[in-house]
Amino acid sequence: MRIELKAVRKRFGGAEALKGITLSVPSGRRVALIGPNGSGKSTLLRSLLGLVECEGEVRLDGRSPFEDRLEVARRLAYVPQVAPQLGAPVEDVVALVARTRALAPEAIARLAARLELDVDALRGRPFRALSGGMKQKLLIALALASDASLLVMDEPTASLDARARERFFALCEEQAPGRTLVLCSHRLEELRHLAGHVVSLDDGRVTYDGPAEDFLAGRGLAVVEVATGSAEAAGWLEARGFRTGLRGWWVRTLSQAEKRELVPELAHELGRGMSDLRVRDVETVEVSHGGD
Amino acid sequence: MTSLTREVAAVARLELAEVLRSRWMVFCGAVYALLAGAFVLVGLRESSLLGFSGMGRVLLSFCHALVLLLPLLALTATGQVVNRAREDGTLELLFSLPVRRGAFFVAVSGVRYTALVVPLVVLMLGMSLLGQLAFGQGVPWGFLLRAVAVCAALLLAFVGLGIAVSTLVRSQARAMIWLLTLWALGVALIDFGLVGLMLQWRLDPRTVFLLAALNPVQAARMALLSGVTPDLSVLGPVGFFLANRLGGAGLFAVGTLWPVAVGLGAWAHALRRFQRSDLV
Repeated sequence: MRIELKAVRKRFGGAEALKGITLSVPSGRRVALIGPNGSGKSTLLRSLLGLVECEGEVRLDGRSPFEDRLEVARRLAYVPQVAPQLGAPVEDVVALVARTRALAPEAIARLAARLELDVDALRGRPFRALSGGMKQKLLIALALASDASLLVMDEPTASLDARARERFFALCEEQAPGRTLVLCSHRLEELRHLAGHVVSLDDGRVTYDGPAEDFLAGRGLAVVEVATGSAEAAGWLEARGFRTGLRGWWVRTLSQAEKRELVPELAHELGRGMSDLRVRDVETVEVSHGGD
Repeated sequence: MTSLTREVAAVARLELAEVLRSRWMVFCGAVYALLAGAFVLVGLRESSLLGFSGMGRVLLSFCHALVLLLPLLALTATGQVVNRAREDGTLELLFSLPVRRGAFFVAVSGVRYTALVVPLVVLMLGMSLLGQLAFGQGVPWGFLLRAVAVCAALLLAFVGLGIAVSTLVRSQARAMIWLLTLWALGVALIDFGLVGLMLQWRLDPRTVFLLAALNPVQAARMALLSGVTPDLSVLGPVGFFLANRLGGAGLFAVGTLWPVAVGLGAWAHALRRFQRSDLV
């Protein structure tokens, strides 16, 4: 499904959440929507779902999701970040989606089983009584079971453990290539697995719209930790922006590009003065500043 | 089955499960049962009230209490349905599916209304049959039907008003204030209460009359008493005036149709707003 946004604005009372967003996502593209809290991501997702009416033009394959919501919803599936507090049992929730999307409940159960969720065993249990991970797995299964040509996911793996995340990524890999994906996430792992393109928002405006690889190269963060007993090495580290952390470790958070320069320099300059070194990538993306 | 009825049925199933599991349903059932039990125990005596005796008297007393209680039950059942669904993400999930807004509205309102009316009808019927089997009282079918119609109309009025509040007032806390205010107004603005206010604060009698006549609670009360001899002390000034103008049947028709009109009007207004406004 092709997404077109032209000068989209949305105001809630005195606050403007979207300030003239113009964006084009061709059919089949996998886009990550990122930005700090209050940047307008949720409002943008909701405008795609037809839940809020905006100024400007929002078009999904030429249709307005607000005006033609029913038609658009038939071709769209959504995984929310926060599961609703439904008191209805799991089987009724599955039945609702199956009926409205003309799906077989067994197809949903099969997909849920791939995420290690046994829908039959949980059928009588109230949806809200499920654990956060179970709810998320079911919501993912409900969305992926449809033949929607647009998948909208808001932090889909936030409540999943590592094993379930792997299974989820594998399921997403199997999705038809023509399906457009809009993913709202800060998690590096999700971006690497699911997105080929990044749209970054800040204060209701698009600050980056381009390949995910370029974006991540500039904004992926790493943490470098150095243990040393040498006063000379400590001085050198302090001069390069390291701060003392727990148990005498020196710590610095830096960009991927800085990391690539600093680590060889560290090894060269400190050598034996360094008793241990840890380098790890941060699993979230830096979103507090807009890009170019 | 058309796609609209399929959508209504799917949402109604979800809503019914929600209602059946809620504490409110237990509370509502307990209130009905307690009230019915109390009136059966104390009411089946050889005394008479406004010409009613035995089971008729029990039902009349029961319905009189219900006229004040049903608005509160209906408002609490419906006054936080839409805004809660909006706040907890239910609307967001539901309307990412091909479900019409109208289907959601019809399903939620229908289920809540049915959950209020059906137990009441069963209880009234049960009370009447109990009176017949255990105490040898005849079933006053005419009054029973009249009472069911009045209660159903009154519930419709306040279900419509409750749904309207939950749609138009986004905050659940603020909605609760509106609901309690509506109930207090409904109970206070019956003509006996207003006559007291008129005497106390020297209100214009025409204003008092109009306020009472527009109040669905007052209308239901008049409809309930429409079978008795028009007497000022029983019907109150508004009921007395209308009974003498319209007759018993006319009073009953006005007293049931006006609450229905109020409920449907409020509901239709809320539906229009719901269909055109942001869902989250």
